[in-house]
Amino acid sequence: MINIKENSDSWQSGSSKSITFIVTKDCQLACKYCYLVGKNTKERMSWEVAKEAIDYILDRENEFREESVIWDFIGGEPFLEIDLIDKICDYLKTEMFRRNHHWFNSYRFSFSTNGINYHTSKVQRFIEKNRSHLSIGITIDGTKQKHDLNRIWKTADMEQGNMPKPEEEKGSYEDVVKNIPLWLEQFPNAATKVTIASADIPYIKDSVLHLYALGIKEVNINCVFEDVWKEGDDVLFEEQLTELADAIIDQDLYLDHACSFYQENIGKPLDPERDNENWCGAGQMLAIDAAGNFYPCTRFAAYSLRSKPAWIIGNVKDGIDQNKLRPFLMLDRITQSKQECIDCEVSSGCAWCQGENYDAADSHTIYQRATAICKMHKARVRANNYYWNKLFRKLELMDQQDVYDNLKSKVTEPVC
Amino acid sequence: MLTHLIILLDDTCVSYCHYNVPHVDHRLISLDDLKAGIVWAMKENVNIQFVYPDYKLPDEYNQAIASIDHTKIKPVKQGQDADVVVLTDWKVSAVDDLHHTTCIVHASRNDLSSHLTTLKEILSQVARLNIVLTDVADFTDADIDDYKLLLSKLSDIVEEQLKLGKNVQMNLLTDRLMLDEMNNCNAGVSNVTLAPDGRFYLCPAFYYDKSKGHIGGLRQGLNIKNPQLLQLDHAPICRKCDAWQCRRCVWLNEQLTLDCNTPSHQQCVMAHLERNASRNLLVRLEEEGFRYGSTHRIEEMKELDPFNTYKQWK
Repeated sequence: MINIKENSDSWQSGSSKSITFIVTKDCQLACKYCYLVGKNTKERMSWEVAKEAIDYILDRENEFREESVIWDFIGGEPFLEIDLIDKICDYLKTEMFRRNHHWFNSYRFSFSTNGINYHTSKVQRFIEKNRSHLSIGITIDGTKQKHDLNRIWKTADMEQGNMPKPEEEKGSYEDVVKNIPLWLEQFPNAATKVTIASADIPYIKDSVLHLYALGIKEVNINCVFEDVWKEGDDVLFEEQLTELADAIIDQDLYLDHACSFYQENIGKPLDPERDNENWCGAGQMLAIDAAGNFYPCTRFAAYSLRSKPAWIIGNVKDGIDQNKLRPFLMLDRITQSKQECIDCEVSSGCAWCQGENYDAADSHTIYQRATAICKMHKARVRANNYYWNKLFRKLELMDQQDVYDNLKSKVTEPVC
Repeated sequence: MLTHLIILLDDTCVSYCHYNVPHVDHRLISLDDLKAGIVWAMKENVNIQFVYPDYKLPDEYNQAIASIDHTKIKPVKQGQDADVVVLTDWKVSAVDDLHHTTCIVHASRNDLSSHLTTLKEILSQVARLNIVLTDVADFTDADIDDYKLLLSKLSDIVEEQLKLGKNVQMNLLTDRLMLDEMNNCNAGVSNVTLAPDGRFYLCPAFYYDKSKGHIGGLRQGLNIKNPQLLQLDHAPICRKCDAWQCRRCVWLNEQLTLDCNTPSHQQCVMAHLERNASRNLLVRLEEEGFRYGSTHRIEEMKELDPFNTYKQWK
């Protein structure tokens, strides 16, 4: 029987607490689709704040009862603060051990990086030291053309609010791709995350195939949740995904490559009572910024929000205000959805981001689901149906229908 | 469905609910806005409740108010012709004038505990006593026993009056006995407020809290964003709750949990202590052969914050 590669679940999915240190709001890049509207060079986390946060969390083992923990580091670009991160991780390991904390044998350090500093000696020393507890994702958007379309270097002028002319933009592809072989050598099963905005759509097929050619076996790809979509984007998106489906199936890439666009369980109606879970994990997670403020997720920090005030749930001195977490922990799908979404016949797999819901809402609430992604989801569902019908027929003709049946019986949990 | 328009006649109007009126100068609603508000209410077919300051209004205002059937909410010292009087201090020389009115006592828990005798006197005089606490936000779990004790003492007062044959009502304790479904404030659903600035607000608290926005004006009409979130069926904790007497204050929700459809731990615990005190009162009354309100049983409930159980089965 042949095997079909599936998208892997995140480490300890469903049983881990994700705790994110926003170590800096600075980044070398100025990606055009970046939702972080308030990046700056000033807000860098101090060791004192990081330590207070760690002490607060580890002092409350009874309140943080999840089986495992993911200590997540985000920016800006987290590896800009590798010295601080190294110190934080050393302290975490020492303290979890000293306290005989239940997380000591079940933790990960997780990074989403632009990959630019990956090869540097400090980052490499850190990786060597923590290898067995590391999860590192390098963001590369695909072909040079696609990557450089959005992921451009920041310039001094940009910090003054002046955007460069298109011909003056400097893409970051070459600076990232040179580190991919080292990354894959150290983490052979690593996945990359690709973000799609309107201008990226024509490059999707070539980009995913390019990432596969670079040796990346798993591509997690999603459309931005913001309201950026233009007339006709859905048609083009569907075309790209259909052509990509042809390429993956015709070239037998499905055997050892995965692309998160194609999932058998999406595009089905959902039952209002049985399928009423919230999609997003905001509120289950915890984020800390340089000022020592706590957030239900990084998307609720001021630098992530276009039009709403930060949703602060406490700080390292006063602790977490449980009242401000209650709305998050009571979220369900139906209460925040419009009737159109509740009645939608292809609603499974239609994702949302609680932070974007809040930012785009007409009032100060997390209970208004943003639906800018609607037509893109429907286009994805049509291409996804095409993919599975084509693959099913191929497997059937190869007398491998049981492989498909086996896949179909699995349910993929949503991952924020 | 909108049934009531509350008109704040002045910035210094008496507070009849959880909010406190800031120290501000008098600012009377303009006569044009008052008249326009009355016409708006007539066309929307809603009842008007006028909330008064502690000084006499100009004659032309009284004439405008008299042009429409209405309810007057007044501070006690202006309360001779009020439908609802608000006790702003504990000098109840005016208690004799309170017969058959509804009286609102706007006070902290400590204040109430220190004035039980006065409360007893008021309850014996009025048709209904509404106690509105000003310190809900400050309530902590360390206050549970004290609040239980306060409710128990208030229960004794209610029970004593009932045994004397007086059909008294005290919101914290007797409302739950008479209800068979949620009966909350419903700001933004069944009532809205017209403020002295000529704009509509969800309730007076949203007017005084400058961080909150208005919901329209007399010319533009009402414009409530996400109105569904003010409805009970969009409040995940409340829609399953049976503390039916709870005010379910959306202003306190926004203050404490930052979302209008989610009550704070304080609000839930206090409402459940009141619910449980109502249950105890009902049990005592039944044991002594008295009947009060509906015949619904109130089940025993130990958990004081439904959030703690709802999040498990949600």
